Amino acid sequence: MTLTAEDHQAAAAAIRATRARRARRSAIIKHFFLASCTLIMIYPLIWLFMSSLKPDNQIFGDLSLWPSAFQWNNYPEGWNGLYISFGTFFKNSAFVTILAVIGNVVSCSFAAYAFARLEFKGRTILFALMMMTLMIPYHVVLIPQYLLFLQAGWVNTYLPLIVPKFLAADAFFVFLMIQFFRQLPRDLDEAAMIDGCSPFKIYWAIIIPLSLPALATAAIFTFIYTWEDFLGPLIYLTDIHDYTVPLALRSFLAQDSVSQYGQMFAISVLSILPIILFFVFFQKFIIRGIAMSGLK
Amino acid sequence: MASVSLNNVVKSYGKVEVIHGVDLEVVDGEFLVLVGPSGCGKSTLLRMIAGLEEITDGTISIGDRIVNDVPASQRNLSMVFQSYALYPHMSVRKNLAFGLTNLKMPKPEIKRRVTEAAKVLQIEELLERKPRQLSGGQKQRVAIGRAIVREPQLFLFDEPLSNLDAELRVQMRVELADMYHRLGTTMIYVTHDQVEAMTMATRIVVLRDGIIEQVGTPFELYNFPQNKFVATFIGSPKMNMFEATVDGIGAVLPDFGTLALHVDDTWATKISVGIRPEQFALNGSGETSSTGTITLVEYLGSEVYLYVKLPSGHVVLARDNGKATHKAGDSITLSITASQAHYYGENGLRMPLFDEANS
Amino acid sequence: MLKFLRKNGPGYLFLVPWFIGFIALALGPILVSLYLAFTKYDIFSPPEWIGLENFEFMFLYDDRFLNSLQVTFTFVFLSVPGKLVFALIVAMVLDKGIRGIGFYRALFYLPSILGGSIAVAILWRQLFDYDGIVNAVLAKVGIQGPYWLNDPDYALYTLIILAMWQFGSPMLIFLAGLRSISPELYEAAEMDGTSKFKQFYAITIPLLAPVIFFNLVLQMIDAFKTFSSAFVISGGSGAPVDSLNFITLYLYNEAFTFFRMGYASALAWVLLVIIAIFTGIAFYSSRYWVYYENERD
Repeated sequence: MTLTAEDHQAAAAAIRATRARRARRSAIIKHFFLASCTLIMIYPLIWLFMSSLKPDNQIFGDLSLWPSAFQWNNYPEGWNGLYISFGTFFKNSAFVTILAVIGNVVSCSFAAYAFARLEFKGRTILFALMMMTLMIPYHVVLIPQYLLFLQAGWVNTYLPLIVPKFLAADAFFVFLMIQFFRQLPRDLDEAAMIDGCSPFKIYWAIIIPLSLPALATAAIFTFIYTWEDFLGPLIYLTDIHDYTVPLALRSFLAQDSVSQYGQMFAISVLSILPIILFFVFFQKFIIRGIAMSGLK
Repeated sequence: MASVSLNNVVKSYGKVEVIHGVDLEVVDGEFLVLVGPSGCGKSTLLRMIAGLEEITDGTISIGDRIVNDVPASQRNLSMVFQSYALYPHMSVRKNLAFGLTNLKMPKPEIKRRVTEAAKVLQIEELLERKPRQLSGGQKQRVAIGRAIVREPQLFLFDEPLSNLDAELRVQMRVELADMYHRLGTTMIYVTHDQVEAMTMATRIVVLRDGIIEQVGTPFELYNFPQNKFVATFIGSPKMNMFEATVDGIGAVLPDFGTLALHVDDTWATKISVGIRPEQFALNGSGETSSTGTITLVEYLGSEVYLYVKLPSGHVVLARDNGKATHKAGDSITLSITASQAHYYGENGLRMPLFDEANS
Repeated sequence: MLKFLRKNGPGYLFLVPWFIGFIALALGPILVSLYLAFTKYDIFSPPEWIGLENFEFMFLYDDRFLNSLQVTFTFVFLSVPGKLVFALIVAMVLDKGIRGIGFYRALFYLPSILGGSIAVAILWRQLFDYDGIVNAVLAKVGIQGPYWLNDPDYALYTLIILAMWQFGSPMLIFLAGLRSISPELYEAAEMDGTSKFKQFYAITIPLLAPVIFFNLVLQMIDAFKTFSSAFVISGGSGAPVDSLNFITLYLYNEAFTFFRMGYASALAWVLLVIIAIFTGIAFYSSRYWVYYENERD
């Protein structure tokens, strides 16, 4: 009693078939699960977008996503829905955000380079202090910072939103960059030292070019955080001409003419558009950044 | 070209001292290899010479200049790293030129040197590539190229071949030796691989626990190891060590009996006798012998190593030529001759009994 | 001296911006905040030292504060575990090699990145409106939905759901963690005849423990600090009936609506201490349930 070659072939074919069937079935189940999750996850966003095109009376209580009539007017009307055009608010937001990104990347990479790569007396203790500031909730320093900026006459300017970024106040990004810099082989610094580089030249010619992914991650998250930031502008900006987009959007909501839902959604869509675009184009950095450091 | 001199050099990290007062003269134009087990301080010593580690105490001078406070870049030396440390974002050409541009050297001169180094190392067609597009051997060449374009007075190598596969390592060894003969520049080379040390060095420094155990030519280290550590460290496979007791007419070894020696009063009662695997005679021609059983045969082609269990249970290693047909379980007689052995006193230092006759 | 500068100078130079920021924006404010917590201060007249009075009032008489504690804790304890469990389940499904993983991963993460925006808070308000889409869906299956935003019994749940909706970040971290578990371990378990379920709790969970721990701490700290969404959804006041009056929101209003800076500082310190205690508990307990693969001295 031995197995013939045909027996082996038949058995192999049967096994292949079962395996393929099983794989297909489990793939279908998984895709079904994931697709339904995705639908639930994304539905609100789709709804937001579709509602921005609906007439106001169709927004509530109507499950259908499709607008009964496309109200493209919601966009231009919403844009001018406050007595100042949203163009101003977008410009304000862009101004604050761009400076914040520059400030954060420069100052945090400076600090991170010192902590990750340079030797100096007191490094351990300063590093520990830096890590401690990571854990301090913003609300604890909020009031004294406000008082400080009030003293300085900076309230109702953009300075309180921008200057801290140039002082590496967001320790999280320092930490993120330290983690990245530490992965770069130290031999490179040493080779550069022997090649005649000063510490600044090593930073500029070796560390920075090799850390572009980390810098990009920091820049992207700074962009998103600053763009979405609400508390800061809420406290420091009092003149509506200086409002950033989130603040202006909130005043839209607080207005008594709450019946302009279509317009409000239209502006909401526009306000998150830059973030969505960033997300689409820089997904790789964003996802790596989170895996690396647990950014939100 | 330059000589290097270390005077009572000490290195500590916090309270832990890792280099304990090393004195060393590196002669102008020699190929000096630092070798020792991992953690012996050889890399630390090299990095102190390079200027990458601070010198805790003592002085290091290169040429006639004490360099303790001279930054690495001004010591006029080049270093090749174990990881090659090529700048990943720069092309091979830029990697080679980077140090020269930092020296503000005129462009034509940089170009000349880069072209020349590329030609010598046969990496001309790689000049526009990035390091990640190179194989291990090519990276190694670029790293060496980066070191030679600076035309330094001193080359430092930190285990440069240990990331290569066996075949390439042999090839690069030959090329490095070639380069040394061509340039004649002083070289200091750190390795844990004693084959590298033996084949390339004009002199070898054996380090252990931050102390120099012996300095000498490969020949001296192999044939006259000055202490038990060097005796067992240099030579692969290792030297067999026997603990012997001294009586009036010689040393009494377990299994082998008495080896006749001219004993004098200064001897301790216990000494160690070392015999390299090739120093056993397998044809019974020695002065005293012992018969044991072969437990394991390692056949290497040109030669064969035999693990022989002697009556006392002690397992020793013997060598025979590749033609011999031994198999496990065979019994074999090993013989030794007094002049073919190494002797170490109780303090571990060499007793130079036959050294004059052997050298 | 010269030698000291040459050795340390570059490090200090690179740290200058951070150090100024540290003193002016972190250390200084923390000390000032600590001081203010023991004062009565309305910005317009100098702070007046009142010792422990702020804290006494807070814990003995201030029902709004005690309520805000309850709101905050309820939120943290419901939203964080929910979010983590959901994130882990999705990560595990995604981990087992499936086509289109990049697509799903991106879409699942999108809400997290938008979560802090006012637009989403506004959206949420409309979704949970009495005439909103959520109730419309519930009506389809024959359930009469509540006045989510006006009923103090339900308002908090809208925020908890909003938080869970943003499970993307812990999911990505779980995914990275799952990826780092060697498939050989599962193969070995397979050969030992270990069931899938047992593989999950005997291999996946213990090896993922450091990641779970990391996520837990991070999400907890984050949840304690929730502000903007609560602000917008409650219209800035913590309404209805203070059911959305998170500590952060209460603190904000005390400071910037009523200018009770001293009392608000005291609230901030209570928040700090709460976060510190919970982080401490997590760290302390971690030694009993977190196993680190490369444990070093």
